[in-house]
Amino acid sequence: MSVTDRLPGDIADRAGLIGLVLVVAAIAIAVSPLVVTVPSALLVFVEVGILFALYGILVLGLDLQYGHTGLVNFGHVLFFAVGGYTVAILAAEGSFSGTSLGYPWPLALVAGVIVAGVVGAIVGATSLRLRDDFLAIATLAAAEIFYSLTRNLQDLLGGTTGILSIPTPLAELAADYDTAMFVTLLGMLGAAALTFAALTRLTEAPYGRVLRAIRADELVTRSVGKSVFTYKMQAFVYGAALAGLAGGLFALYNGAVAPGFFTIQVTVTIWIGMLLGGASNHRAVLAGLAIIMGLRLFSRFANQSLPVSSGEFASIRLIAVGMILVLVIRYRPAGIWGNEKELGVDS
Amino acid sequence: MGLAQNIIFGLVTGSYIAIAAIGFTLIYGIVNMINFAYGEYLTIGAFIGFLAAGVLPLPVAAAVAMIGGGIVSLALARLFFTPINDTGPVPMLLTSIGLGLVLRNVIRLWAGRGARYIDTQTTTFRTEGLPDLPVGSYDLLGDFFVTSEHLVVIGVTVGVFLILHGLLTRTDVGIAMRAMGDNESLARVRGIDTQFIRNSVWILAGVLAGLSGVLVGVQTNVSVTTGYAHILQILAAAILGGAGSPYGAVAGAYVIGLVIALSTAFLPSSMTGISSAMAFVILVAVLLVKPSGIAGTEVREA
Repeated sequence: MSVTDRLPGDIADRAGLIGLVLVVAAIAIAVSPLVVTVPSALLVFVEVGILFALYGILVLGLDLQYGHTGLVNFGHVLFFAVGGYTVAILAAEGSFSGTSLGYPWPLALVAGVIVAGVVGAIVGATSLRLRDDFLAIATLAAAEIFYSLTRNLQDLLGGTTGILSIPTPLAELAADYDTAMFVTLLGMLGAAALTFAALTRLTEAPYGRVLRAIRADELVTRSVGKSVFTYKMQAFVYGAALAGLAGGLFALYNGAVAPGFFTIQVTVTIWIGMLLGGASNHRAVLAGLAIIMGLRLFSRFANQSLPVSSGEFASIRLIAVGMILVLVIRYRPAGIWGNEKELGVDS
Repeated sequence: MGLAQNIIFGLVTGSYIAIAAIGFTLIYGIVNMINFAYGEYLTIGAFIGFLAAGVLPLPVAAAVAMIGGGIVSLALARLFFTPINDTGPVPMLLTSIGLGLVLRNVIRLWAGRGARYIDTQTTTFRTEGLPDLPVGSYDLLGDFFVTSEHLVVIGVTVGVFLILHGLLTRTDVGIAMRAMGDNESLARVRGIDTQFIRNSVWILAGVLAGLSGVLVGVQTNVSVTTGYAHILQILAAAILGGAGSPYGAVAGAYVIGLVIALSTAFLPSSMTGISSAMAFVILVAVLLVKPSGIAGTEVREA
C-alpha cells in the first residue's frame, strides 16, 4: 500500500491535511537553524503568493456570502481592515503613531476575528433585509466610512501613516529575511488551505444546501420552515470573521497597517476573482483569484519592458481589470468553472 | 466662519449634487439600475467643460459639456448596459463598477492626477456677471460672503429644476418616463416605446451629469477624482429622497449638502476630513430606518 492510498480521498480532508502540514512546516523551518535562500528575482513571487493566500481567505469568505447565500457584499474590505486595525491597535508596541497597547499577538488575532465578526453582525442586522443592489451600496458605503475614519482619526488609527511596529511573529522566529518570507508564505498558504477545508465541510453539509436554497429561492426556503434571515446573518458573520482573520494575519505579516492597504481595490480584486472563476465553487474562486493576481504579477514584469511610466501602467492595468469584470458578466456570467444551473444565470 | 457661511456652502454643494442626483435617480427609476459609473460622467462633463471654456464663453462651454455628457452617456449605455438589461440589478451594478474603473483610469491616462481650474475670471460669464454680494453680518449667524459663482450655481439649479418639472409633467416624453417609472409593462401595453424612453433617459442623465460636472469645476476644480468623490453623495441623495423620485432627489441633495457643510462647523478641526463621509453615514442611517428612502416606493424584499 503506497502512501497516496492512505491519504484521505475527501477534498475537504485533503485540504485540511495540506494546511496542517504547511503550517507545521512553516513553524518547523522558522525555529530550526535552517536558512532558505530565495533568489531575489523570485522574491516578488513570494510576496504575491503571500497576498494570494490572504486574498484567498477573503474570497472564500465572500463566496460563502455571495456564491452560496446570494448576499451581495461590496464592502468586504471593511472586515479585512477591521481585522487588521484591531490586531494593530492591540499588538503594536511603542508605535510612532496611532494607539498601540502591546498585548500578546495571539490574543490580538483572536480579538481581530471577533471584532470583525461583531462588525459583520452590526452591518448585517442593518442591511441584510435590503434588496440585493441596495445591500451592495450599503456595504460599500460602510467600507468607505471606515476608510475615511482610518485616514482621519490620527490619534486612534494613525491617520494616513497608519500603525507601525506590529510584531511579525513568524518572521521573527526565522534567522534572516529570505527565510522569514518563505516561512510566511508557507504559513499563509497553510491558513488558506485550512480555511478551504473548513468552508468545504460547511457547504457540503446540509447547512450549505440551505444557504444555496436561499440563494435560489428565498420564499420557498422560508415556506419549508427555515429562518432565512438567521442563515443569511450566519453566512454574513462567518464571511466577515474570516476576512477579519485575513486582516489580522496581514497585519502580523506586514508589521504595519495603513489606509492604503485597505482600499476599494481589494474588494474589486476579490469580486473579479470570484466571478471570473465561478461563484459557489471554492476551487474555482481561488483559481479566478490566481488569474487576476497572476495578471498583476505579469504586469509588473511587462512594465519593465514597456515605455510608459509606472503610474500610466497602473492605469492601464486597472482598465484591463475593469474590462475583465464587464466582459465576464456579459459573456460568462457563471464564470469559467461555475455551475450555471446553481447560480441561476443564462449564458 | 459663521453658521450662515456654512449654510451657503451647503446650498451650493446641495445644488450640484441635486442636478446629478436627478439624473442618477431617473436611471434608477426607469432603467432599474444603480449606475456606479455615473460619477465618472460628471468627471467627463467637467473636463469637456474645462476644455471648451478655454476657447468659448462659459455658458457655451457648459452647453457643450451637457451635449457631450448626453452623447457619452447614451453611447456607454448602448455598449455596456442595454445588452444586459434583463439580467437583473446586480449584474448591472457590477458592470457599472467595472465601467467606472475603466473610465476613471482612461481619464487618468489622458489627464494625469493634477487638478485644473475653470478660470471664471476670463470668461464672459464673470465680466457680464453679477457682482459679489457684500459681506453680511448678523449677530446670530456671523459674517458671510456670497460670490457670483455661488449665485450662478444655485440659480442654474433652480432653473434646471423648473425646466425638468415642466418636462416631466407637460411633455409626452416626460409623461412616458413617469409612466415607465411606475409600471413598465403597463406603459408598454399602452403603446409607449420603452427603448426610446430608456435612451432618452440616458441622454437626459448624461446632460445633467455634464452640467453638474461643470458646476463642480466652476466652484472648486476639475480632476480625475471629481466623479468618484461625489458618487456616494449623489447615491446618498437619491436614496434619501426615495430612489426613483426626482423631486425627492433634490430634497435629499440639499439635506446632504447642508449636513456636509454644517458638520465642518461642529466637528473639531482635526476631523474635518470626516465631513464628506457624513453623506455615507446618512445613507446607511436612512437605509436602516426606511429601506426605501424618505419618499420612495417599496424596495424591500426580505
